[in-house]
Parts: sequence; C-alpha cells; structure tokens
Amino acid sequence: MNLLLVDSMTWTITVLGWFIVFVALVFLIGVFLTVPKLLNWGIKRSLRKKNKSTEKVEQADDTVVITGETNAAIAMALHMYFNEQHDEESNVITIKEVKKRYSPWSSKVYNFNNVNFPR
Amino acid sequence: MKRFITLFGVLSLLFSLQFIGGGFEAFAAGGAGAGDTFLEHASKGLETFWKFTGFYNLMDNPANLIMIGVGLFFIFLAIKYDYEPLLLVPIGTGVILGNIPFMEGYKIGLYEEGSVLNYLYFGVQQGIYPPLIFLGIGAMTDFSSLISNPKLMILGAAAQVGIFATFLGASALGFTPQEAGAIGIIGGADGPTAIFLSSKLAPSLMGAIAIAAYSYMALVPVIQPPIMRLIIPKRERLIKMKPPRAVSKVEKIMFPIIGLLLTTFISPSALPLLGMLFFGNLLKESGVTERLADTARNAMINIVTILLGITVGASTQADYFLTTDSLKIFGLGAVSFMVATAGGLFFARLMNTFLKGDNKINPLIGAAGVSAVPDSARVVQHEGLKSDPNNHLLMHAMAPNVSGVIGSAVAAGILLSFLM
Repeated sequence: MNLLLVDSMTWTITVLGWFIVFVALVFLIGVFLTVPKLLNWGIKRSLRKKNKSTEKVEQADDTVVITGETNAAIAMALHMYFNEQHDEESNVITIKEVKKRYSPWSSKVYNFNNVNFPR
Repeated sequence: MKRFITLFGVLSLLFSLQFIGGGFEAFAAGGAGAGDTFLEHASKGLETFWKFTGFYNLMDNPANLIMIGVGLFFIFLAIKYDYEPLLLVPIGTGVILGNIPFMEGYKIGLYEEGSVLNYLYFGVQQGIYPPLIFLGIGAMTDFSSLISNPKLMILGAAAQVGIFATFLGASALGFTPQEAGAIGIIGGADGPTAIFLSSKLAPSLMGAIAIAAYSYMALVPVIQPPIMRLIIPKRERLIKMKPPRAVSKVEKIMFPIIGLLLTTFISPSALPLLGMLFFGNLLKESGVTERLADTARNAMINIVTILLGITVGASTQADYFLTTDSLKIFGLGAVSFMVATAGGLFFARLMNTFLKGDNKINPLIGAAGVSAVPDSARVVQHEGLKSDPNNHLLMHAMAPNVSGVIGSAVAAGILLSFLM
C-alpha cells in the first residue's frame, strides 16, 4: 500500500467528503441549539401577551424545569403503582357452570358405520 | 372387512394389468430386451438424480464447503455468544443456502435469472431493503438525548473518519474509486448503508462488503473496548456527565422535519436512507400515527431483516466470494472499524479541552460515534461501569450513536455524488 500513489481526486474526495459530513452535522447542531431558544422565546412572548411580566415568566421557568431524573422517578413510581393495582382483586369467586350444548358436529356416533358391523 | 378386501383386490388387479399389457408389447418388440430397457431406464434415472445432487456438484466447487463452514460459524456465534443473532442467524443460513452445490440452468441459484432467490435478491441489488430498514430504525429510535445535547452530534461526524480513511486505503490497494468508496462505507459500521452504497457503486463486491460490515458490527463488543482503554486514560473515564435535560414534544416533532430538510438538501444522494430514517421518526414522534410507527418498527423491519439477511448471505457463493479481493475487504473493514472508533475517541478528548466544569464529556462516548446502533452505546455503558459502577453513560452515548447513523448516511450520499 502506497498512499503517495493515490491520485489527487481520491485525496480530494477524502478531505472534502469528511469536511462536508462535519459541516452538515455542525449545521444541524447550530439549528438544534437555536430551536429550544426560539421555542422559549415564543412561550415567553405568548405569556407576555397575557399580561404577565417577564420576571414572573422567568420565575415560572425556574420552578417548572424538571430534570430527566425526576421525570424518570415519577414515571417509575406511576408504573409501579399501576402494576401493583393488578394485585388488588375483588376476592369474589364465581364458578360459572359450563353448558355443553348438543351439536352433531364431530359427534361420535357419526364416526361409526353401523351397517354390517361384526357382532 | 370383506368389502375392503374385494375393493383392494380389484384395484390391484387393474394396477397390474397395465404392466402386463406393457410387458406383452415389450416382449413383442424385443423379447428378452424388455428387462434390459427397464434396467437401463432405472440406471439412467439414478444417474440423472446423482448429477442433480449436491454431493455430485460439490466435486466441481469444493470451496463451497468452506463457505458452508463460515455459515455454520455465524450461526454458532449468534446462538452461543449472542453476537447480533437477528442478523447472523439469517445471514449464516443464507450463506449455507447460497453454497449448496446444484446443477445450474434450472433457476435455482441466487444469480440465476428467474429463480426465487434472484427475485428476493432484487431488493438488495436495487437498494430497496436498506431504506425500509432505515424506516424501522427511525420509528424505533429516540433522538431525545441528541436533541438535549446537540453538540455531541459532532462525535458522530468525527467517527466517520473511518469511512474516508478506508476509502483512501482501498484506493492505495488498487481498487477502483467506486469500489474503494463502497469498501470505505464499512467504516460507517452501518449494514444497510453499506449495502445501499455497494449496490450502487460496486455490485460485484456487495456480498463481501455486507458480510464484512455485519460481521464487524457483531464484533463491536470485541473490537472497541481495547481501543477505548488504550486511548482514554483512567481518570478521564471517570468523568460524570450532567443528566440530559427533558425534551419537549414540539422539539421531538421538529427534529425529524428539520433533520430531513437539512440533510437531504446537503446530500440529496442519500435521500432514500435519510428520508426514510426521518420519516420513521416522524411517525413515532407525531403521536398520531402510532399504528404506522408500530408496523415500521416491528413487523416491517423484521420482514425486511429476514429477506436482507438471507439474500445477502446467499450472495456469498464460493466462486463469487472466495477471492483475494474479499480478503482485502475484510482486512480493510477491520482497520476501518478501529480507525472510526479511535477517531471518535480522540475527538471527544479534543472537545474536552474546550469544555469547562460540568459541561465536560466522558470521552468514552466518542466510541459510540460509529453508527452500530445500539451496540456501540452499550459497549460505552459497559466500559463506563467498569471504571465507575455508578457512572451510567448509555443515554449520553446514544447521542453520538444516532448522529453516527445520520453521519454515515450523509457520507454515503457524498461518496455517491462524487463517484456515480
């Protein structure tokens, strides 16, 4: 393997290709760093329209922020609660009688040929 | 009982009459020659049958036995060590199927036009299956860790160095630019992308490329940890990252739409892959198409995985597959995985030099930049726990992991646009 023998086109594709991948993802990073700010700005703006001061909104923001860990704990608690609910049963035991209705379908009597049956 | 015996007797008499008639005719034609004709026919029939058997045809292609051994080894790895069983069992079975020797010309083999396997292989040849797999991946992937910490996306780009380094290496080994591009994508650690690109750029090498990509993806837990331990010092492996913030539903819905628009505008050649990936994610996150998302991430991806695995496996017929080129591809694939992992790890360390305090990242997550989802993220979690049993890195590692999928698809698009 001799990298010096590789033509310039290959080197161009290598360098430029990696660079474009970087640019594409850096571009995405930029967008996704901006989106939450825009959303927050939109929320603040709508709240301001409802005659609420920015300070109040900021205060509300501080109190509203819930970390992922807290969310996970709440979700786990709810999950366990709902799962355990299954164990609480009515304690009423009902035995239902199983009715067997007659049906000629697969009736045993039709499986035998009664004519000329040796006795 | 009497009736039964009578009926049986009449039937056997009728059955034997035709032989008696035939026997008379044969006797009239050639006397004692009738017995010879029967034996001749029988031996001819047996000879034809023998020529149709795999045992006879194996004499022409004894190398098929090696490939059958490879197929059995894949199945063994999948069942015994649980290495990507959903892929290795269909591929292993496909390798066995594709290497059973048969008489050509009867529409049996994968490369014979009109055969059943050939029809199934159409989805691979024309790059139909990979986008459908991407649809399923999109519908089952949660991008919230990426949305909450977008800067980790850069690690997904850094790990794509494996693709371009392998492209360079393959060119230096004498492969044509198109073949080198198709081989390079193995470094993306993304099976469907590798199949998609090789079907367009180098269909003749697709079997080897796909098998190399999937084999190394299955071996991620073996390949990555030593490189991680080599590059990342112990004290850096202990870094604890702050938990990701909660992501709102609007952000989750906007992600696939913005991602689709941006990435496909930059690299339209990867439209089938990226389009399906983000479409699948939109089905999942929109909250109003749960039935479609459910089908995409369960039934459909399972069906396509079966078809893809079995046909890719069957495409490795010994006479097409056992070449020096395949060996080179396997060697390059191994190197590309290592380079990609190292690229992600080094870049993560580099990022840390610019980050302060709480914002520092655990450089181990750089290894998840290769897009073997979710295996490499799982390896990072495992390695993190080895250094500190309370340090859970899985959620953080998922961000570079899924951005690696996007990065490798973008890279595939770039290679396509340069080399088509």
